[in-house]
Amino acid sequence: MLVLSRKLNESIVIDGHIIVKVVRVDGDVVKLGITAPMEVPVHRQEVYEEIQKNNLEALTQGRAAVSALPRVPRPKGDADTGAWPRNRNAAKKQ
Amino acid sequence: MNRVENVASVPNPAQAENTISMPMGLLGFERIKEYVLLADPAEEPFLWLQVSNDANLAFLVVAPQPLLPSYKPEISPEDVAFLGLDSAADAAVLSIVTVRGPNHATLNLKGPIVLNRRTLVAKQVIPANAAEFSVQHPLPVIQP
Repeated sequence: MLVLSRKLNESIVIDGHIIVKVVRVDGDVVKLGITAPMEVPVHRQEVYEEIQKNNLEALTQGRAAVSALPRVPRPKGDADTGAWPRNRNAAKKQ
Repeated sequence: MNRVENVASVPNPAQAENTISMPMGLLGFERIKEYVLLADPAEEPFLWLQVSNDANLAFLVVAPQPLLPSYKPEISPEDVAFLGLDSAADAAVLSIVTVRGPNHATLNLKGPIVLNRRTLVAKQVIPANAAEFSVQHPLPVIQP
């Protein structure tokens, strides 16, 4: 692992287009500002791993592999009667 | 922060299958970017988010809001921009369901899938208020 020392308001540049800046240091909490292109996902590691693990658990071998779906209460006063989801063709017609 | 209203989804039987583009994939499944969303009236309110061209890989999903009316994920401006959401009405929120036993399942409220209903582009987002939510929220079920 590359280890760099940075002071408050100093940054590092990754791959020429991702900037990580030390925005605040308060005791054992370091606040980082991250500037990255929209297509670069940035997550807190523990949250990322928690969701990743859950996604793996939730993956099924398809519709046929789940014998019975849970029985959920019907929502009161069926709110949305609109088409769901709206498809591209429907959007074009509007 | 934009509070994106959840959409009470009633799948239109006439649109039983929609191709969903997920340019970022799901967390842990970043390379899979094309899904089909399958709706069957007999399975309401559940839907299947199935990997395109692979019927053996699918996630059970549900619109959480009709089941949990207090659930209000705050979608970041970056995610709103990424999805090109012009209005809250264009957004549908779906939660991934993990079936854990007979009539027992949990919902991932921490990493919901937000879908632009107009463009059919979706992303698994981490809401700004994610700390309030669990990845294993018990699904409310009717006991026999």
